[in-house]
Amino acid sequence: MVAPESMVEQLNRGARKRNARWTFVSEQPFGEALTLRRFRLGNGLTVLTLIDRAAPTVSYHTWFRVGSRHERPGKTGLAHLFEHLMFGATRSRSLGEFDRLMERAGAEANAATWTDWTFYYENAPRSALPLLIELEADRMANLVLRTPQVGSEKEVVANERKLRVEDDVEGKAVELLYSHAFRNHPYHWPTIGWMEDIRGFTVRDCRAFYRAHYAPNNATIVIVGDFDERRALSMVQRRYGHLPRVRRPAERARVREPAPRSERVVILAAPTPSPKLLAGYRAPPFYHPHTPALVVANEVLFGGRSSRLHRLLCVDKEIALSVRGSISPFVEPGLHEMWIAVRQGARIDSALALLDKEIARLGSRGPTRRELEKAINQLELSFLHTMETAGGKAEQIGFHETVMNDGAAAFDRLASYRAVTGEAVQRVVSKYLRPSRRTRVEIVPRPS
Amino acid sequence: MKVFVESSDVLPLVDVEVGFPIGSLRDPVGREGLAQLAGQLMRFGPRGLSQERFEEQLASMGARLSVEVSMRTTRIRAAVLRRNLEPLLALLAQTVWDPALRASDFAKLKRQARAALTARLDDDQTLGAVCFREALFGAHPYARPLSGRLDSIGRIKVGHVKDFHARHVAHGEFFVGIAGDVIDAEARAIVASHFPSTGRRQRRSPHVPPTRPRPGRHVVIVDKPERTQTQLFIGTLGARTHDRDLFPLIVSNTAFGGTFSSPLMQQVRAVRGWSYGAYSRLLHSTQRDAWYMWTAPAAEYSSQCAALQLELLERWVDGGIKAAELRFAQRYLINGHCFDVDTPAKRVEAKLDIELLGIPRSYVDKHDELVAGVDRDRANRATRTRISTRDVIIVVVASAKDVVGAFEGLAGIESVEVLPFDRI
Repeated sequence: MVAPESMVEQLNRGARKRNARWTFVSEQPFGEALTLRRFRLGNGLTVLTLIDRAAPTVSYHTWFRVGSRHERPGKTGLAHLFEHLMFGATRSRSLGEFDRLMERAGAEANAATWTDWTFYYENAPRSALPLLIELEADRMANLVLRTPQVGSEKEVVANERKLRVEDDVEGKAVELLYSHAFRNHPYHWPTIGWMEDIRGFTVRDCRAFYRAHYAPNNATIVIVGDFDERRALSMVQRRYGHLPRVRRPAERARVREPAPRSERVVILAAPTPSPKLLAGYRAPPFYHPHTPALVVANEVLFGGRSSRLHRLLCVDKEIALSVRGSISPFVEPGLHEMWIAVRQGARIDSALALLDKEIARLGSRGPTRRELEKAINQLELSFLHTMETAGGKAEQIGFHETVMNDGAAAFDRLASYRAVTGEAVQRVVSKYLRPSRRTRVEIVPRPS
Repeated sequence: MKVFVESSDVLPLVDVEVGFPIGSLRDPVGREGLAQLAGQLMRFGPRGLSQERFEEQLASMGARLSVEVSMRTTRIRAAVLRRNLEPLLALLAQTVWDPALRASDFAKLKRQARAALTARLDDDQTLGAVCFREALFGAHPYARPLSGRLDSIGRIKVGHVKDFHARHVAHGEFFVGIAGDVIDAEARAIVASHFPSTGRRQRRSPHVPPTRPRPGRHVVIVDKPERTQTQLFIGTLGARTHDRDLFPLIVSNTAFGGTFSSPLMQQVRAVRGWSYGAYSRLLHSTQRDAWYMWTAPAAEYSSQCAALQLELLERWVDGGIKAAELRFAQRYLINGHCFDVDTPAKRVEAKLDIELLGIPRSYVDKHDELVAGVDRDRANRATRTRISTRDVIIVVVASAKDVVGAFEGLAGIESVEVLPFDRI
């Protein structure tokens, strides 16, 4: 690999404008064999590169630090709607041309939005990289927002909401969980938005959102795969270097959302054949030092068929069909979610009593050494699976860069899981998994 | 036994697959779900080890194990941290060739399988897909539900499972794929020391009669209360794996509904915003499998969406695809082919597919040539020959009262049947 300092020096020779001048920021090992490099353009655009020649492919990610947390009541779902609109026309390209060009090149292009971020990605044959850079740079600055397309995409999103929430028992339960667990904080509303807000968006709303958030100094580009780094940086410089920085809206002061003093319970009667329980305990943010221990605790309780709750509820007592748990990977405190699909004829309160008992046991006695070893091995396996493709690596880097300001932190997470002790698990379980910190949604079958 | 190895030292991870050319087509009539239950009971672990101890051992190794049964295959898949490959393969061999198959575990498994069938009623898309195959294939074995039905599961005894295992797995032909951080010779040596050396060669799949279309256009409404949205499956018979015009049909289908830029997606989603997704799929097997379109429009315009899709179908079959659409689909398929083989596990999977499904080797080795060799005339002729616009099955998961009248009014509909969702 060429030394990054000399590469940047060469690239900057032809760059007159400050916005288009590169700075080499850092270089970090990414696992045992790869190196993650960080560069920044004068206009604030951060670019992370990882050369990985395992396959003749390239993955190109663009992460924006805007998600549903940055919206306000009455305008919920705008970040997500905008993700859809970004596939529309630009000043130089007609509606549908983005997808046509990508697909013709064999690229898979898609995007995702959540509470803290929105990202766009392409997985493509390596030869398509110039096209990816050109099209992504174009839509970062030149999107055309007009009534017909905004109207059509609003309808698509309304349909998506029906698919994922209105007609989906689990989707509806998750929405209820967050809206009751958070009363003041933006995590209260769903990323897809409330239906009346989706219906009410105007072209003006969309233009204002675009101007405020879609700019080089609010974005990180991640390039992973089999590519020539110097040529890639040169193309990025040419396509993005003329874009100006924008004044980003000031980050709102963090909304204080005290943990509940007593349990909140919501009952949802739905046309479903079997009861279900969704519980959410107020949890620390993703970067918090307690999070790794809570992740290990979650693995002990829910990770696979030898986990405590699968064993107890699905195998021994046979009152549940499946169980699972996860911790929301948010910038601000989120929830430790637990889902129990109770079997037809069994009772939610029986499942809840067993859940409480097992959590209390983990809090008082901690995991065994063998449980700890299993949990860490399983987390390692899951982590390695996410790293199998260029796209998987790019997503991990983009996520960690956006949420933790450190794209290489994915490997640190693995090290942090390995450092978790039984006592640490005990401490976080006792601190965070108390029923008083919990909101729970009970889904009860309503006869048709 | 044939072993395929794809080495890569990029990650300290190994994927393993043991594949048998047997699947749910072996299920006897009335005992649908047998192959799947046999696979799942095997997954409870080997003789001499309780299920609990078995799961403990797997988890401690940093391993995961799953059994996937399809119409024609049973695939036992594992992933493991590199350092534990050998103990995993030893445990896997015991699990496959000397499973416990305990009656007490089987009783548990049957209760679990029944609960899973009940839970499936929450998933509208799966309900639609199951109902579509049943409506399309009727009494043909391709209509059999992989997971069985409540009554068919009730009829299966542990003796049936043991017999199935003894006949098809214990001495049956099998293939092994190993992908990841292990060199070829080492992988083969470990496999040789733990796995049986040979399996009896058997017919890849039982004799399956040709599938036949049900004449006319028929609507089946899966009636589920409180649906604001519908799941719509519209289709007909598709292709055989060995059809000479399979690749022309693949290219033509890709042009019609296989990409975001295709007319189906553009007309349904981009122009009208009627559905979050819209695509068409061509399935192929030893006999003609299914071709279908999927959309999920709101109940208020579900029938309009169906009418539009039927119109697009007729335009595609009768008018054919344009030269530009053909070129676009070819480039899409050829340029994107690298993602079919971008990991060691996918490369091994492609080799196992050749063995297990009888897919011609040229489909993998000469994929790009086969796609590039399709001309417009062949693509359109294949579409006209294979895809019927007259014999069409339409399955809609919806609240029947909201849609039944509108679907009865669709052009050329010969019958409309309403099925309660909890009877699927």
